[in-house]
Amino acid sequence: MRHNFIDRYANLDSPLHVLEARTKILGYLSLIAALLLMPGRNDVVLLVYAFVAAILVGASQVPLGYIAGRSLVILPFVLLAGIAAPWTNSFDGARFMALATRSFLSVTILLLMTSTTPFPELLRGLQKLGCPRILILNLGFLYRYLFVLTEEVLRMRQARDCRRAGRAPPRVELKLLGSMLGSLVLRSFERAERMYQAMLSRGYAGEFPVLAPRRFTWRDLTFLAGIALLIVSSFRYAGR
Amino acid sequence: MHIPDGFLSGRIWLSLDALSSVTVLYAARRLRVQASGHTVPLMGVLSAFVFAAQLLNFPVLGGTSGHLVGSALLAVLLGPLAAFLTMVTVLIAQALFLQDGGLAALGANIFNIAAVPVLSGYGIFRLAGGTQSHGRRLAIASFLSGWVSIELCALCCALELSLSGAIPLRVGLPAMTGYHAILGVAEGILTSSVLVFLSHTRPDLIRRGAGSRLPVADWVAVVALVAVPCAILVLAGSSNLPDPLQRLLASADPVYGRQGESEPFLSPLRYREFLRALTLIAGAIGSAYFLGRLMRGKRSKL
Repeated sequence: MRHNFIDRYANLDSPLHVLEARTKILGYLSLIAALLLMPGRNDVVLLVYAFVAAILVGASQVPLGYIAGRSLVILPFVLLAGIAAPWTNSFDGARFMALATRSFLSVTILLLMTSTTPFPELLRGLQKLGCPRILILNLGFLYRYLFVLTEEVLRMRQARDCRRAGRAPPRVELKLLGSMLGSLVLRSFERAERMYQAMLSRGYAGEFPVLAPRRFTWRDLTFLAGIALLIVSSFRYAGR
Repeated sequence: MHIPDGFLSGRIWLSLDALSSVTVLYAARRLRVQASGHTVPLMGVLSAFVFAAQLLNFPVLGGTSGHLVGSALLAVLLGPLAAFLTMVTVLIAQALFLQDGGLAALGANIFNIAAVPVLSGYGIFRLAGGTQSHGRRLAIASFLSGWVSIELCALCCALELSLSGAIPLRVGLPAMTGYHAILGVAEGILTSSVLVFLSHTRPDLIRRGAGSRLPVADWVAVVALVAVPCAILVLAGSSNLPDPLQRLLASADPVYGRQGESEPFLSPLRYREFLRALTLIAGAIGSAYFLGRLMRGKRSKL
């Protein structure tokens, strides 16, 4: 099975991939915050942000279809807001469009961040930015164990499907799912403990090593300066 | 339900981000004191477990689907502090990899999906006496804790959305709580069947998690960090925004204030103008994309 479905495009080699993890976390986070905190509904500023996001997507080598498909996760909320719109005191289509645009742009920026950074590097960046150690440890374990668990689930599902024909009534189905989940917890817990012991005995000290970590260079500085310039000038424009 | 970016107003997501980071730092600090060597792999594997379990959807009414949330389950297996941090891990991973929930809205999602359901699940499980008993009592206690935790999660979500002016309470509250009342039944049944299964095979896991008592300092923190904000949210949201508060909001939030002066959207006269603008925008964004492509260098074959 495919083992890299969470950071599938993270090992390409584009102008965005060579940036350091901290740069990307800080840069994209401030871009999202600025986008959301922009006063009023300033359509021109939103357009400029869309423009910048499009340039970044183009520069990132990540396929356009992937970004477009993944950013559809916001659809349920947009639909709910759209359905609810007639009940608000004054239906305001422009405001609704601005909300949807902001939401869509933030998802795109978030996607750019995760699909241009390998997960271990992202963790290193978060740790250097002061994220609590236990969270970093836990995220590392999540990444490590996820594949083990997925394989276990696939094996269990195959075993269940081999032993039955058709579907049971919903009540029984849920109960079956419950005991499958229970035994999944047990099996993976026992396996996780063995793996943890093995990792400890091989010198694991709470950090997943990164081969040749990226350094903070002039490229990062340029990137951050560009983003700062964009944010400051857009706020000055919107504040007028 | 994970709230994406853009639906919460600045006041709400900034304050909830601040609140949640304080909660996370507090829990991480307390856990460093209390944790044993056993806790780390258990937290790790359970966070992977919840992440994987949330990927498995089951059909609910009308073509929509739901999945296990697992806050109550974690609270029983790990105790509230470790369960909270495990849920936070899952939420960060979901925001980063599945784009489930926004980055700026992470604080709100942590409050809704980690803090509130974990604590309510733990509290109800203990109140219903799930720790001492087996069989039916355990099943009922865990069902209740699963159901209530989901319902409270939906309630907080609806209140935040209506306070932000994105989805009014009149629509949001029945939609969210009604839908989650059905999801909650599935959550309750799954929680109770997993816990009943585990009580037969590894009863020590349940006793170690939910059986541990919270020290007094943690109770104080729970009240300050979760219960009080919850109460504020309910009071501010359910008061249907009486006039003084509304005026205050209007002065604080520029989006609120300008509501009256908007022109009608898509009136026939503006239709052609709108179409022309749309074509221009699409063209501009498309050319920006190709501009970016010029910079991207050679694509390596993988």
